[in-house]
Amino acid sequence: MSEASVTVMNLPRRDAQDKLRGRTKYTNDRARPDMLHAVLLRSTVPAGRIVRLDVSPALAWPGVRAVATGADAPGLYGIGIADHPLMAIDTIRYHGEPIAVVAAETEEQARAALAAIILEIEPLAPVLTMAEALEPGARLIHEDWRGYEVITEGGARAGNIAWEAKSSRGDVDAAFARSDVRIVESSFSVGRQSHVPFEPRVAIGSWEDGRAHIQTSTQVPWTVRNVTGRVMQLPPGRVRVTVPPVGGGFGLKFDASIEPITALLARMTGRPVMLENTRQEEMATCLCRENAEIRIRSAVTAEGEIVGREAVVLMDCGAYGGEQVFLTTMTAHTLGGNYRVGATRLVSRAVYTNTPPNGAFRACNGVYNTFALERHTDEICDFLGLDPMEFRKKNVLGDGDFGPTGQVFEDDVLAPMLDRMETLRAKTGTLERKADGRLYGMATTVGTWFVFTGPSAATVNLNADGSATLVTSGVEIGSGTMMQSLPQIVAGQLGLAPHQVIVREADTDAAGLDVGVGGGRTTVSIGAASVAACAEVKEKLLRAAGEMLQTRPEDLVLRDGRAEISGRPGSGATIPAVVAHAQATTGPITGSGAFTAKNTPAMAGCAMGHFIDALDIPVFVVHEAEVAVDPDTGHVEVLAYRVVQDVGRALNPRAIMGQIQGGVVQGLGYALHEEVTITTDGRIAQNDFETYRLPLAGDVVPVAADLYEGAPSLGPLGAKGAGEVPILAVGAAIACAVSRAIGKPVRQLPLTPPRVLGLLHDREPQPDFPHIASGWAANTLG
Amino acid sequence: MTVTFRLNGEDYRFRDDPMTPLIDILRQERFLTGTKAVCREGFCGACTVHVDGDAVPSCLKPVGLLEGCEVVTIEGLSAGNQVLHPLQAAFEAADAVQCGMCFPGMVMSLLAFMRDNPDASRDDIKAAMVGNICRCTGYERIVDTVADCLAQQRQTAKVAGGADV
Ligand code: FES
Ligand code: FES
Repeated sequence: MSEASVTVMNLPRRDAQDKLRGRTKYTNDRARPDMLHAVLLRSTVPAGRIVRLDVSPALAWPGVRAVATGADAPGLYGIGIADHPLMAIDTIRYHGEPIAVVAAETEEQARAALAAIILEIEPLAPVLTMAEALEPGARLIHEDWRGYEVITEGGARAGNIAWEAKSSRGDVDAAFARSDVRIVESSFSVGRQSHVPFEPRVAIGSWEDGRAHIQTSTQVPWTVRNVTGRVMQLPPGRVRVTVPPVGGGFGLKFDASIEPITALLARMTGRPVMLENTRQEEMATCLCRENAEIRIRSAVTAEGEIVGREAVVLMDCGAYGGEQVFLTTMTAHTLGGNYRVGATRLVSRAVYTNTPPNGAFRACNGVYNTFALERHTDEICDFLGLDPMEFRKKNVLGDGDFGPTGQVFEDDVLAPMLDRMETLRAKTGTLERKADGRLYGMATTVGTWFVFTGPSAATVNLNADGSATLVTSGVEIGSGTMMQSLPQIVAGQLGLAPHQVIVREADTDAAGLDVGVGGGRTTVSIGAASVAACAEVKEKLLRAAGEMLQTRPEDLVLRDGRAEISGRPGSGATIPAVVAHAQATTGPITGSGAFTAKNTPAMAGCAMGHFIDALDIPVFVVHEAEVAVDPDTGHVEVLAYRVVQDVGRALNPRAIMGQIQGGVVQGLGYALHEEVTITTDGRIAQNDFETYRLPLAGDVVPVAADLYEGAPSLGPLGAKGAGEVPILAVGAAIACAVSRAIGKPVRQLPLTPPRVLGLLHDREPQPDFPHIASGWAANTLG
Repeated sequence: MTVTFRLNGEDYRFRDDPMTPLIDILRQERFLTGTKAVCREGFCGACTVHVDGDAVPSCLKPVGLLEGCEVVTIEGLSAGNQVLHPLQAAFEAADAVQCGMCFPGMVMSLLAFMRDNPDASRDDIKAAMVGNICRCTGYERIVDTVADCLAQQRQTAKVAGGADV
């Protein structure tokens, strides 16, 4: 029996029943009568200096048990650079920034006490856009940027540029100077996207035996542990993080935010403290997918060979660096992905502004870099009179091609995926007839993303009842990985049924280091660590069985809950009998396993300021959209949507289909109507469900999807993460389809009806970035 | 002020501000946390409960308006170890649930809809779901499941009807 035949299945979710009955206790369902409630005092200006902060009047308020400010937890945290205080200390950098926190017996009491805090702020003129931040002589948002601790070496930084990553391969100037090339340049801009997880960020802190215990709705328990240690200036080992079921993450919960505040208040009061963002706070301070500005230029021959490419990407990180610092790396692999290119140079800068900090959101900057790259590709095809599908087939990355950092790609994946899209389309047919007099467009686009590998640990305990307990720091955020692929993998390794595998909720006291649930890494990294743990269990189990059965362990296999003599079903002994024997003779059977990144090589000197030089596991998608545009209203209706997704190996095809449908729909929201704007006083204008327009049932179509298997992967049984990438190329496919429908270049998202009308009537200003210099090198810190 | 109503089949008496939204009583006083407070403004439907059989958002319902009413929450649908309602069972079987936060409200809304619209088409179902937002699933599997359940329901009704003749 092959591993795959016992692992691959459409296993339903074990958590569905309780979720459907309303019994699941998410973190924000865990309030208890003896808990204190904390409320944050947040800044109502985008920039300023705190000249007076007196919390003593609040302390005197009825029911108040503690008040804390930034001075109580002065450590700074961040990714790459430590620039972020838990609560503002002296300087206010964004509207909504926490300044103080009150813990009281009830939320009402805490809110009333907030009003008693004496706060005087000397406002400063805010720097609200990247253009303003990059102006010569612009006010520094972090005056002390030079003094910050650098956590990861290598990135160039200066003033309002929080981080700069570059990649450069080949002689780009020579490529652009060739006499046989045409040069095509395009500029793109995109707004932010708000995650709107149904459970907001929420945490419950308690102080137990001299240590903090935080229950929280997070994707990254180890980050919460480490950040809490950092800001409270405690050894991180004095912080325990446990994670109940999470009511949606999508990347928002891939960083620590409010959690350490609950630990701080719990230490001050000796009581459990709950802090939950209201929906308005959640949206006003959402760590959104960042707004960005992109200029890309290519040198292409008449035959359609891309001999040179250069680009500048500005990413607004908001008031603090956060994920954007890391994500500058991903420009090389996304904007620099998809196609075989001669010489390439790309620079990506995270720019500070006095706006709420941004963060990670499903496929992150891959989503807009793919939009930009695919629209640019269509502009190249238009300009040269080439067929966009043929151009893609000819130029997509294939076996032996170089990426922008000099990574060598293995295997032809994208080209056969494009063929599979044509097959899928032939099967589903197209829906032009449904356009019904409106403008019709169809486009096929490609995308490149990755599985974020990195460290994971797993322990498997085999129990005398034949069940196995899997202990990891994995979190169930809704994608089903902890409920489906992990128990499937462990069961497949040990000859058990998936229901016999108990999956422990994340607890940093019980499981080893893990870099978190996101980046499509759970199935791959925790899965691979689990396979390694199972190998140790299997080895011990077969040894004990061999001893019991007087057989060589090599002749035994685990199948159907038994240790059997190979080729003789029903022989040997049951697993519980072997476990009992082992427990009595050599002790309980347990195994541990670990996994980390392989660090796939890049070419020396090609990647600067990168957190990842090459992709350990690239993931590809092909997306196709059909749209109808109403020329009178500018409304875009999506008529049909098709996906071919590189999944490596589909361990649970039905669950992957569910992720594809959900991810595409989030992408449709991004492409068409989820719009975040910043007011003149630095606020996110859309802070509720009325002003932020999420996709509704009536907006969506069933996505037809084909799962492409067999591309190389380090994942267990060749699996790749499948939940992150379904959103990757949606903005691209919709923008290209709309552009073809209306016959105008689309260079901005979202495509709201007013914007589409503006484009139709040539009224919509096209992005133009005076703050991006025309010479590429002038956009780098050298 | 005192308000008395039935909550999941038992009498419940509330003495406090009659403007208190029902959802706060459910979650904070009764610990019935299956009813989710997501937007608290009537847009998302995650807080939907039945009041005298109608699906209503509990975040917009002041308790003062509930005198003598029958309130049923998701917890009241199937107590203890009772089997799931067929719609819930169908969602489970179809692997429709992701983070799950929208589902209690989704189930309460759709049950009332299915009772009142046994012949609803797929488009009708989608139109009825305008007040129930899901951020995770992209809806289609939910719509398919409801359509299948309705078809099943009609089939059962036909068989039962046929048996009468
Ligand atoms: S919480 Fe009541 S409708 Fe959203
Ligand atoms: S399953 Fe997460 S909101 Fe619907």
